[in-house]
Amino acid sequence: MLPSLKPSRAAAALPRGAAQGRRGCGLRQKLRTAFGSRKNVSILGRSHILTSMGTAVQKAAQEHRQHDVRVFDDEGKDVTPHPLFRPDPKTAAPKQSKLLAFSDSSGAAGSVFLPFSIYQTSEEDGRSVAPHSRTSESSRISKSTMSITESVLDGIAESGSLQDTAVSSPDVQVRREEIKEQLTEEDLDKRVDIYLTETETLRMLDLPTVVVSVESEDAARVLERNKIYVDVCKNRPGNDRFVEKMMQTINGATKNKKVQCDKIIMEDKGIVVTTWDLYDSYNTPQVEPTSKAEGSRAPTEKRSTSSVTKDQATPAAAERGSITSTTILESAGLARVHEEEKCHTEATLRSENFQQNLFFMERILMENIFQHKLAAYRQFPVLTDPVVTLEAGSTLAAIKEAEQEEHDKKNMDKKEQKEMLSDPSILPELNKTSDEMVPPSLEQLWSYRCDLTHQHNVSSMAWSKVNLDLLAVGYGAFDFKEQKEGLACCWSLKNPMWPERIFQCEHGVTALDFSMATPNLLAAGMYNGTIVVYNVQSSDSTTEFHSGECSAKHTGPVWQLKWVELDIGTTEGNKRERLISISADGRITQWLIQEGLGCIDLMKIKRTRSKKENLPAEKERKSEALISQWAAGMCFDFHPKDTYLYLAGTEEGLIHKCSRSCNRQFLKTYRGHKGPVYKVAWNPFTTDTFLSCSVDWSVILWHQNSQSPILTFSSTTTVVHDIMWSPKSAFIFAAASESKVEIWDLRISILDPVITRFADPEAKFTSVLFAKNTDCLLVGDSRGEVSVFELQDLAAGSSNEVDALNDVIGPALFPVAK
Amino acid sequence: MAETEETLKRIQAHKGVVATMVVNAEGIPIRTTLDNSTTVHYAGLLHQLTMKARSTVRDIDPQNDLTFLRIRSKKHEIMVAPDKEYLLIVIQNPSE
Repeated sequence: MLPSLKPSRAAAALPRGAAQGRRGCGLRQKLRTAFGSRKNVSILGRSHILTSMGTAVQKAAQEHRQHDVRVFDDEGKDVTPHPLFRPDPKTAAPKQSKLLAFSDSSGAAGSVFLPFSIYQTSEEDGRSVAPHSRTSESSRISKSTMSITESVLDGIAESGSLQDTAVSSPDVQVRREEIKEQLTEEDLDKRVDIYLTETETLRMLDLPTVVVSVESEDAARVLERNKIYVDVCKNRPGNDRFVEKMMQTINGATKNKKVQCDKIIMEDKGIVVTTWDLYDSYNTPQVEPTSKAEGSRAPTEKRSTSSVTKDQATPAAAERGSITSTTILESAGLARVHEEEKCHTEATLRSENFQQNLFFMERILMENIFQHKLAAYRQFPVLTDPVVTLEAGSTLAAIKEAEQEEHDKKNMDKKEQKEMLSDPSILPELNKTSDEMVPPSLEQLWSYRCDLTHQHNVSSMAWSKVNLDLLAVGYGAFDFKEQKEGLACCWSLKNPMWPERIFQCEHGVTALDFSMATPNLLAAGMYNGTIVVYNVQSSDSTTEFHSGECSAKHTGPVWQLKWVELDIGTTEGNKRERLISISADGRITQWLIQEGLGCIDLMKIKRTRSKKENLPAEKERKSEALISQWAAGMCFDFHPKDTYLYLAGTEEGLIHKCSRSCNRQFLKTYRGHKGPVYKVAWNPFTTDTFLSCSVDWSVILWHQNSQSPILTFSSTTTVVHDIMWSPKSAFIFAAASESKVEIWDLRISILDPVITRFADPEAKFTSVLFAKNTDCLLVGDSRGEVSVFELQDLAAGSSNEVDALNDVIGPALFPVAK
Repeated sequence: MAETEETLKRIQAHKGVVATMVVNAEGIPIRTTLDNSTTVHYAGLLHQLTMKARSTVRDIDPQNDLTFLRIRSKKHEIMVAPDKEYLLIVIQNPSE
């Protein structure tokens, strides 16, 4: 029955105390644990060993505990009382065999396990342990015990003195630690399976009932027996067969037994379960038990919302278990965490998420700053923040009411004005409203500018065809002398302080346009004649197409670029978009985007000789060789309805009406300007009239049938750089001359503009652009600013505009039409 | 990286911006224009609030998630862009 085992030296010094302690946690030992956690047990046992070994060293001499007493009767048989707790020998047996094998493989360390479990499994083993301790005392006793008990004690002779054991214990201790170290490092990240099983039910007390239910099967039998018993009792007194006798029994001395176990550590764990938590658990893929995952799950636990490192450290510490090794490894862990943290911060700063968040943050800041202006842009009623204006202690309600009143009044004013403007004859009669009538004005909302564009001349502006809040601005000088590097920027309404896209160019940008068919393409023409096409989806300056490789590229500055939808081929509906440019080398070219830019010349503008009469003195002039056969083209505009027809303005001051079908001859030439024509624009509503502006300080309205000007607007004494018809009304157009920007309304006056806005002394206005979705005007100037003005109190158009316009220009037309 | 730095600088330089802070998930400031104690204070409080806000949003619809949080007070507006690893906090005085 006794297992044949080789006892260890360490076991020799094992006093009863430790054994007792082991017994207390016997239940824990019953757990079939995996290798990893076995070391837990062993570690705890180790501490016990340590303590117990310490005590052993001290008290070895005093070993005289009752519990170590082994009772032998006269014949020398061992009659030591059995321990109270007797585990099942069945379950113990396999464990023993395991340990057997284990002990064979590993020497001293393995055998450490043995004494504990041996002790647990049977009381006989306890017997084997005790003599070990005894051997320290006297060899005589050991001999005697050895002679009595067999087997286990065979190897005891080796473990002689306490000295040896004391020496060996540190050895063992050290070795055990080493081995433990190995394990912890390897197994730290392993999944440890812990099986929890129930122990067998230990019946401490079994009191069977003496009460049987009347309805049970045995009831009849029990009743019968009861009856017999009653009869017997009745017959007893006076019966010869019953004799009373007394006996004395020995009452055994009661014995108190106490068991102390380790404190059972309880942990409370709680989770707030939310809908999203469940959703996450079902839907996220299996996450590896990395520290990061632990950290992210931590916030959901009720007990800790603290830092990730703490959560990293605590489970790791729990795994390691022992006190000494924890401190060593924790410091190593913390050092590791520090480095990780540094990498983490860098990573967070670089991450795309961070960049995006910054982007949004900037936009939201802008929204806060520009909220009123943007609301005005969108033509929302502007509400002032009541808290800000709450000064004199008036109630919130009162202020709001006041605002409402003002707003209502303003609305009413606007309506009245509209009525008045459309019917000028009523004007003098409305005396009572005259002081409320507000003349139309431009109010500046904000201006697109930043350090990057400072002091770059704004040469052209274009709206995106798809997103009406996206503005492209080209920066480049007009003069030959002022040439420097140019820029093309895309500004968004959502951020007026920094452009969304910045494209750096080597030369000044003189023309810009967004494509309609592929809305992300932006074409830019430069001062040196190159045309580049950018893709605004990417934020770097690489060009999609570059006309540099094309052999027929322009040799002079590209003054205007447009993407035009042309009818191609014979069928009506077949529209393709082409890029058309006009430049100072006298060519109007059409570009095709097919793996690079290919071009076809639409027209070459020949110089036309002026038709003024030559004085006899100037006859020699005719024979002078011209520098160039071609006249520089400055601007062009395609007819809104007929895509074959277009106008071209030249440096000579002539405007030619041309057709795509004929590229040698002009259809018509309009003479009137005395200087280069900077811009021509067809009226988008009535397609017979067009406007042109030129260096000669004038803006001229033409009718396409008449070769001489219909109306001339000369209100400035500076070059008129740009004009544009309003997209909302056939009568309104804007003109930018260097010192001021003017809005003309032809119904109101053909002599004076309705609105004039002067520029700052240092700045010159160079370009205008109407906003399509709102009543605003954008004006670019030579300092690199694009100011956004709101057109206030300007009359909207009415339906019979075309006729009205004809009425206006009619008188001028009649003398010529004949 | 340079673009991030530039954008961050621009944000800090905007008119009305009182403070800009980038704090990591543990409350340690990565970039801040305020002193450390105030930053940590803000970070701790806003972290909890962001957690609560996110929990609220996701409780109603688990497929939704919190993207931005703005708190408008009498004096300032606090704007928080939360993320798994960091918190971007900007305090602006909008009436300036």
